[in-house]
Amino acid sequence: MKVLKRIINSKYFMVVLWTVLIVTIWEIFAFIVQYTKRTPVNVLPHLSGILESILSTKTINGSQTALQMVLVNAGATLSRAGIGFLIGTALGFVLALLMNLSGTVEKVAFPYLMLIQMIPVLGMAPIILALTGDIGTSRTVIAAILTFYPVATNTLAGFKGVQKEKHELMYSYAASKFQVYVKTLIPACLPSFFTGMKIAAPMAVTASILVDTLQGGIGLGCLLSQSLKGAMTRYVFWQIVLLSAIVGILSFVLIGAIEKKVCPYNQKTKG
Amino acid sequence: MLSMVDMRTDVEIMLKDIGMTYKTSTNTDVTALTNVTMNIHKGEFVSLLGPSGCGKTTLLRIIADLLTPTVGEISVGGESPREARLKRKYGIVFQGAVLYDWRTVKKNVMLPLEIMHLPKKDCEERADKMLEMVGLKDFAKHYPRQLSGGMQQRVGIARALAIQPEILLMDEPFSALDEFTREKLHEDLLRIWRKTNKTIVFVTHNIQESVFLSDRVCVLSPHPGRISALIDIDLPRPRTVEIKSTPEFTGYVAQIRSSFEGI
Repeated sequence: MKVLKRIINSKYFMVVLWTVLIVTIWEIFAFIVQYTKRTPVNVLPHLSGILESILSTKTINGSQTALQMVLVNAGATLSRAGIGFLIGTALGFVLALLMNLSGTVEKVAFPYLMLIQMIPVLGMAPIILALTGDIGTSRTVIAAILTFYPVATNTLAGFKGVQKEKHELMYSYAASKFQVYVKTLIPACLPSFFTGMKIAAPMAVTASILVDTLQGGIGLGCLLSQSLKGAMTRYVFWQIVLLSAIVGILSFVLIGAIEKKVCPYNQKTKG
Repeated sequence: MLSMVDMRTDVEIMLKDIGMTYKTSTNTDVTALTNVTMNIHKGEFVSLLGPSGCGKTTLLRIIADLLTPTVGEISVGGESPREARLKRKYGIVFQGAVLYDWRTVKKNVMLPLEIMHLPKKDCEERADKMLEMVGLKDFAKHYPRQLSGGMQQRVGIARALAIQPEILLMDEPFSALDEFTREKLHEDLLRIWRKTNKTIVFVTHNIQESVFLSDRVCVLSPHPGRISALIDIDLPRPRTVEIKSTPEFTGYVAQIRSSFEGI
């Protein structure tokens, strides 16, 4: 019993359980699909098939294997998404700061923020492309725009959520506005800031892929649509799906790890 | 009687005809305080006692320059509350400890000193001294969430005293603590007060607490908030919990209880 309890409480147990569950569910459905659909690989292939295509050394466009192609295109898409994410995060933080400093800025900027957020990515993409004139840059900009909103709103909520007494305490110390921000508001808003980043990271990646599909060039999305149109093996599509899922999880874990490093006080350890 | 008090030269906080009127959302005036006149002397321990709505916290916040009275005169340490605040003449302790959970206990105590731009070495030395005084020397490197409520409030007191103010303002600092912890903190607070000679203004709704701690209890009654009695507590010091079972102590408690008006 004790051993069982230790296994259940262990850090890795959830990861293992989670993996086993998703593999099982995937395979159950893959079997159903295999016997009920005419082209099972279009609906849900077996994981073994995807694995096989990943490990395959057969070139599919004369020079690259499926995996090589996916990785090269992933590099392009993810670097755009990554750079856009970092720019959007920085801008989002600065805007939150400005909105908190001035009620006027908040009142003026907030409706625009909402508006930008409501324009569908697919509608925004051609406009941004026309403005920037470069496919790569336009996708970075779109990733930045999508990152910007959740980071800005969450950070602003973090600023506003600071206890009234903390403001009064700083007031009683005759602290300058700069000191109020450096000593109180900015450290206090960090958990909310990281929440915003966690929401934004997968959005930046999925938006990048989506815009790829629309505009072509190099990128995961282009590869995705080519594979769907039958220009190359359908397993490329499944490799991309798998890769995107892994990248999404990794970005979440990575931001969580940075958060733990920056805000160690959030850990639930008793000393 | 009042003129005798006024003749004393060691007045730390002077309140004269203080009144405070709020406008509510429906645009009606609510009088939170009216005609508050009293002097608090250097080194005195004064409690502002009353039920909720009597304006005791409002009065404390007026002294702290967190609120400006609608009418009346006030001086803190011989100056306007604003000047007193800018010169950091008072330290304040709230009902919750209001600690910074991203700072260790010691760094919490160092916070106001950093704001004052004290050299780092001085900050550390002073923080160590304060933590020793409140009995938390061994917890300097802990984070607030690792401490009990009583310990957190001790950190709050250490932080308020770190700036070496002349006045300590306390707004129901122990009301969220259990009885045992509270009694321990009462004795500790009196010990610290004796050692540092601060003027303490202590807001509470607990009659026993005010009698046990204070030189003088200022009884406030609500609707409108006003002073209904100023009672000198003539109990010997140093005081220990045993004093609570003496007839003198219970006499004061009864006297105060009967002095509330209009509740």
